[in-house]
Amino acid sequence: MNDQLNQKTSQLFDNELPYDEALALLAKLRSDADLAQKWDRYAAISHALKTEQFVSLRPDFSAQIAARLEAEPVYLLPRNKPVKRNYAWLALAASVAVVSVVAVRWLPQLDSKSPNTPAPASLQVAQQQTPQALPHSPVTTRKADTNEQPLNARINDYLQAHNGSVYADNQNLKSMARVTTYNPK
Amino acid sequence: MIAVKWFFLILPVLPTAVAWAETPPLPDSDNRPATLLQDGKYILKSMVNAMQNLNYQGTVAFLRDGKLEPMRYSHAVNKGHEQEHLLSLNSPLREVVRETGKVSCLYTATQKLIVEQRPFERSFLLDMPSDLGQLDAVYDIEVQGEENIAMLPTLIVALTPKDKLRYAHKIWVSRHWFLPLKVVVYDLAGGTLEERVFTELEVKDVLPFIAMKQPSNTSLLPDSPAESSKQAAFALTALPKGFTEVFFSRKPMRDAEQPVDHLLLSDGLASVSVYMEPKNPAQPPINSGVQTIDAINFFSHTQGDYQVTVMGEVPSETIQFIADHVQLRGQ
Repeated sequence: MNDQLNQKTSQLFDNELPYDEALALLAKLRSDADLAQKWDRYAAISHALKTEQFVSLRPDFSAQIAARLEAEPVYLLPRNKPVKRNYAWLALAASVAVVSVVAVRWLPQLDSKSPNTPAPASLQVAQQQTPQALPHSPVTTRKADTNEQPLNARINDYLQAHNGSVYADNQNLKSMARVTTYNPK
Repeated sequence: MIAVKWFFLILPVLPTAVAWAETPPLPDSDNRPATLLQDGKYILKSMVNAMQNLNYQGTVAFLRDGKLEPMRYSHAVNKGHEQEHLLSLNSPLREVVRETGKVSCLYTATQKLIVEQRPFERSFLLDMPSDLGQLDAVYDIEVQGEENIAMLPTLIVALTPKDKLRYAHKIWVSRHWFLPLKVVVYDLAGGTLEERVFTELEVKDVLPFIAMKQPSNTSLLPDSPAESSKQAAFALTALPKGFTEVFFSRKPMRDAEQPVDHLLLSDGLASVSVYMEPKNPAQPPINSGVQTIDAINFFSHTQGDYQVTVMGEVPSETIQFIADHVQLRGQ
């Protein structure tokens, strides 16, 4: 009988015991102190085998935790009233969101196919590129924002030639430019 | 009893006496007629004179696009010979000297020294035209009040453009020394584009000229001898009001061997550069369209076999206007 119980306990640890038998064994664990102690030993052995560490607990550790939980005061707090959900509105909002996402993804493509709007191919490619460190820039590039583009190294040369204050405000280390308007002329 | 009586007699006068004791020596401006101190152009003229002839040093914060660059600044003058010196307080550490039209920048970490001829500029703080009358056509100049900057009283001179082709400036000029303690450039919507402000300033009788050491890693950027813009491969068929040609050079830039035509325009306060160089298939193309880097707008496009780029601290409409009026010679 004991061997059978030991085997079931071991199976429960390995998660191999059928559901009904597991429930019966757990119920028995609550009423049988010897079996509960045996369960604790199994748990300790299993833990030590799996983690190569062993923490010895007092035999009454579980009982003390249970006792403390029992001693906890009961808080009679008002329960939040369940919100009546209007599933029709939720469904409508979800539909609008889905349509928005699809529209945002598709509209630029439709726009670029418009014969009146030349496709800014270089702009689109540039926005997808990871900004490269400039050959004569001692700093790494900044993370690109959606409206920023890698700055052509030539522009850095021009910036420096344009205004000597670049040395003061470190303008020559720029790596990104913001595109304010697009003019395909 | 008499002592108590005197105490109560003196007490009301005491704050005034303390304030008088803390007041710096009589400012120069207090010796000038009050009407002159309401004349923005007179104050600017005094400022240009003070910037060139005083020895002064302090800490200047350069602010652009929300980024702060604090620098130690000094200006020394000896027998009409000027030197400006900047020392960065934050990385990348660098030292910059402007002297006789030449700017030298030494990067401390790499010991790289860049030397560049810039005969068309005068100051890292603020470039003003030698003839302030040039500003009249395009800016309204007026004194807009007084404020303290770096614990020093200043007069606020506003330069408000008469059109939308340039940005507004405000200059906080020290009442005592007539030095610019703060300069702010505003965009067309009134937002701050860039700002330069002294956080502390001292004026000395004498300041030494600082000798920058010469490391082995020196980059001498090609000289930019002023040439006639008639030699340029292009001509400008029209200019925005108030802008004139200031400087033209043809020189290679950095690693590139092919020369670049560079024409500098100015309305006295704002400057615009026009660059033109033959298209080089080996170079990555410059994106078309007006782009912005902090306060600078630029526009680049190909015109015939040339790449034309216009950039400056002016609104995009001004950039576009100038780009639209670049014409290749012989066409």
